[in-house]
Amino acid sequence: MSGDAAPPAEPAGRRIEAGPERPLLEVSGLRVTYGRAQAVDGATFAVGEGELVGLVGPNGAGKSSTLFAVMGEVRRAAGEVRFRGKPLPGRPEDVVRLGLAMVPEGRHLFPSMTVQENLQLGRLARRPGRTPRLGDEEVATLFPVTAEFARRRAGLLSGGQQQQVAIARALLSDPDLLLLDEPSLGLSPTIVASVFSALERINALGVAILLVEQRAEMTLEFCARSYVLVGGRIRFEADRHTNVETVVASYFGVERVALGNRP
Amino acid sequence: MTRSRLRLAAELLGPLALVGVVALVAAHLSTSDQTDAINVLVTATIVVGLYVFIGNSGVISFGQISFAAVGAFAAGIYTTPVSTRQTTMPDLFGFLGRPVLTNLESLLLAAGLGALFALLVGLALMRLSGLAAGIATFAVLEITYNILANWEKIGPGPTTLASVPVTTGVGQATIGCAVAVVVAFAYQRSRSCRLLRASRADALAARGIGVSIVRHRLGAFVLSGAICGFAGALYVHSLGSINVTEVYLALTFSTLAMLVVGGSQSLWGATLGGILLGILSSFLTNAENGTTVFGLSFTLPNGLSSIIFAILFVGALMLFPRGLTRNREFLAKALGERPARVGVVLGSGGKPGDGSVTGDGSDGTPAAATTAHVTAVADPEP
Repeated sequence: MSGDAAPPAEPAGRRIEAGPERPLLEVSGLRVTYGRAQAVDGATFAVGEGELVGLVGPNGAGKSSTLFAVMGEVRRAAGEVRFRGKPLPGRPEDVVRLGLAMVPEGRHLFPSMTVQENLQLGRLARRPGRTPRLGDEEVATLFPVTAEFARRRAGLLSGGQQQQVAIARALLSDPDLLLLDEPSLGLSPTIVASVFSALERINALGVAILLVEQRAEMTLEFCARSYVLVGGRIRFEADRHTNVETVVASYFGVERVALGNRP
Repeated sequence: MTRSRLRLAAELLGPLALVGVVALVAAHLSTSDQTDAINVLVTATIVVGLYVFIGNSGVISFGQISFAAVGAFAAGIYTTPVSTRQTTMPDLFGFLGRPVLTNLESLLLAAGLGALFALLVGLALMRLSGLAAGIATFAVLEITYNILANWEKIGPGPTTLASVPVTTGVGQATIGCAVAVVVAFAYQRSRSCRLLRASRADALAARGIGVSIVRHRLGAFVLSGAICGFAGALYVHSLGSINVTEVYLALTFSTLAMLVVGGSQSLWGATLGGILLGILSSFLTNAENGTTVFGLSFTLPNGLSSIIFAILFVGALMLFPRGLTRNREFLAKALGERPARVGVVLGSGGKPGDGSVTGDGSDGTPAAATTAHVTAVADPEP
């Protein structure tokens, strides 16, 4: 089978930097398979305490699968996922209780419940005996729609409003690390801007964020560090100074190399 | 009373009133027609049992009638006189030979055994959903049927267990059905059931906020098993006999049809479907033996009742895919599950007095964007 033991070949000069100083989430050699298809093929990356990290890559790069594997929503075929140095359990309902929360792509609100009911459910996984980093008032200030439409059924909100409720719901579990899967998907540029500015403020309050996005330029600009995931592997690490065109080219360039390597 | 309290009251009293109406009508019927009415109430109890699991979890199960079967045989055997047991079922295990239970004891035993059996099955099956759950629970029904039909150490095998005391009359069937409704109502107000319903709406999101779906599903499955076992005991005590074929495929599919036609995601739908289609079913069955409607005598060919039932089922699914009740609780729409009036509030930030648009009207709070409001939002429901 392909890629069984071979370590991911890193393109010359694109070494992955040493991890963050105070690592919160450490993923090494993560593999996810769906039947015979390799979705994630040995991804290694880390997110530090309070960091804002991007994960960009083209369609099918394995971005969502990586997030799902971290949460335990899909089985990790190989590799290690550690949170505060301890291996993460394999079920999302346990993972969320340790202080990770995910906002999945497509928002996944409970459509027939009201916004406030959705938010109430978000508090389910709070760790006992901790004062939440973001109280209800902070969340309401960050996302005014949650208050404005508190009693409206979530399924009746617009896509952008739902995205904000979904992030608010995840925040109410009081996570140390927030995983976001394509929060900009299907939103108008204005809403995207307001969602991202909310993310910035959330991060400023000390919540680490791992932001999965397809829009490389915006993400690179927004995040302190970004990983570029192509073909299930982290190809390199970028920051605000990295030329976006290099990143976008790597979408294709590395793909070509990978194809060329195939026997 | 506030609107939301009214709605809550209607949620319970609607189904109970329906059961009460059947009981009142039954009390004025001839003895033979009373048997039909009792059967309607017992069937409705099973449908409520199905609803507790299927309706709340959104997972299909063809296996709940197994729990009714276990309850029916346990209640039947344990209330049959010892001497009759020895002559009709000489191979019984010793522990089934005695004691003789009273009617009430046998009902409780049946509920307990139904729950226990459901627990054993559920521990293995509750990770499944969709088609896999359907097949696996169907297998449970098959296994239960085959064991009951062949193992004469635990029951009458393929023969009919007769001479069970007939202790379930209109009164007991009514109370039994009402108890099932109240239990189902109490359950659906519970935290566990709310989380289960969240998982029904979106399993990914439910796991993501920390809901252990398996655990809550198992709870519903066990409670459903208890209600079905209890209903099985009512069944055997209303007829005085039972054959394993009576608690097998036909009952499985007819009760499922009742649940779906009524509306599988509301207690009102389960009760209404169980009672309406129960009445229809017994009418059609009687018509196969000859009946008189408005002075007009006729006899339907054998088997036609099943065909008519099936046609109605398909028709109802085409016309009302969410059931006659559209999955709503009794009077839920009239009492304030508001239709969307998008645009009234959008962008307005909440005008004074528009609380009735987005609020539920219970406290008169305007739906304005205030942090104070959100703090109230976060309070647990009263």
